[in-house]
Amino acid sequence: MIDQDDAALVLASQQGDRDAFGALISRHARSILSLTTRMLGPADAEDVAQETFVAAYRALASFKSDSKFSTWLYRIGVNKCTDSLRARRPENTSLDVISDESAAALDVSNDETPHWELEQAELAWELDKGIQALPHLYRESFVLRHIEGLGYDEMSLILGVHRDTLKMRVYKARTLLCQSLAHLDGVHR
Amino acid sequence: MMNDTFDNVDRAGSEEFVQRFVDGELSAEERVRFLSQLGRDEQLRRRAIELEQLALDASRLPRPMVPDGFAASVMSRIGDVAVAPAGPVASGFSRTDVSVWRRLADAFAAPRILQWNTANAFAVGCLAILVMVEIVTRGGAKPDAALAPAVPATLVRLVILQQGAKTVQVAGDFNGWSPARTSLEQISDGAWAVTIPLKPGRYAYMFVVDGQRWIVDPFAAEQKDDGFGSRNAVLEVKPLEQKTGAAL
Repeated sequence: MIDQDDAALVLASQQGDRDAFGALISRHARSILSLTTRMLGPADAEDVAQETFVAAYRALASFKSDSKFSTWLYRIGVNKCTDSLRARRPENTSLDVISDESAAALDVSNDETPHWELEQAELAWELDKGIQALPHLYRESFVLRHIEGLGYDEMSLILGVHRDTLKMRVYKARTLLCQSLAHLDGVHR
Repeated sequence: MMNDTFDNVDRAGSEEFVQRFVDGELSAEERVRFLSQLGRDEQLRRRAIELEQLALDASRLPRPMVPDGFAASVMSRIGDVAVAPAGPVASGFSRTDVSVWRRLADAFAAPRILQWNTANAFAVGCLAILVMVEIVTRGGAKPDAALAPAVPATLVRLVILQQGAKTVQVAGDFNGWSPARTSLEQISDGAWAVTIPLKPGRYAYMFVVDGQRWIVDPFAAEQKDDGFGSRNAVLEVKPLEQKTGAAL
């Protein structure tokens, strides 16, 4: 199942070849950095992405070649993001709970910005803000599905959650995001 | 699971169909039915475009560039540590944190005195019984502080009768619709229960039996459309000041 190039690099890394692990970092850094950026925002993204690779290196001996290296790495990355979010907001560990406060936070509209002046970059900014305002469990599912472009089966392996549960989370994330971006309709979307 | 949940609804025009369409998960027959419906239903058409646009926008979000020296920084943090031998290392395959809900379940498994008010939160049916007991926490049984940061939590007891079930879980707005996070315990033959702390608010929920069967509690005080062609039970936890004297 494992990508042949990844397989060779993983095997070499397990045997102590640090250059091989460096090559694995180069191959997967952008995906992991994308994940951490969307989950945490830019401030902590690079640090947590680095932590992901450090943890992966230390656990490399336990990696089984019957799974995809990228899936395994995503899983470590998701867990590191969860750790970071909990450390950042210890008073609100239940980031997955939709409360009135989080629902209010989803309203990312800015009435003072004339809609006709919004450009594509601003749409990306609004969407990114909406994604980061999603409850944690919805956010990680949405990011893996639509930013990283993964299927539900692979997401299930990464998150250890049944694919139907993940579908429900993605559905709800999409619905919440559509609501939060509704003010952009008919402008540049 | 999803099919169980969404049976007996006008599926072709349902939210579930639209969402599955966006995911490319409709069968050929379902696609024909959906597209036919799309041609007749302008609102459905707008919804499909809205969701497709969202998926497209998300896929187009710029991916961050990897900074120069990223790999070198990682290798520097790794230092001279060799790859650890295989064993029970922190592989990333298990969540590093014990689930808050698991800790709560453990906390509530310990013997403690709970004061119950069953007078106005009791419903009986042939399929399911929901007993909701609201207990305002005043020192004694404190829920995890993380779940009740500032607002006093209300302990809600969910009980359901399911003869022959091997597991019963509950999924809802309060746990990210993740049944694995909130399991009920069998308290007597066929009776399952769990106590959870909730902040004031309205929470949709469903029971999940044996990890497969999603049950809409027919005897909940309120039900609402879940937007996916089915209905959820709704649990309302009122703020403390609105129920003075009611719970204790």
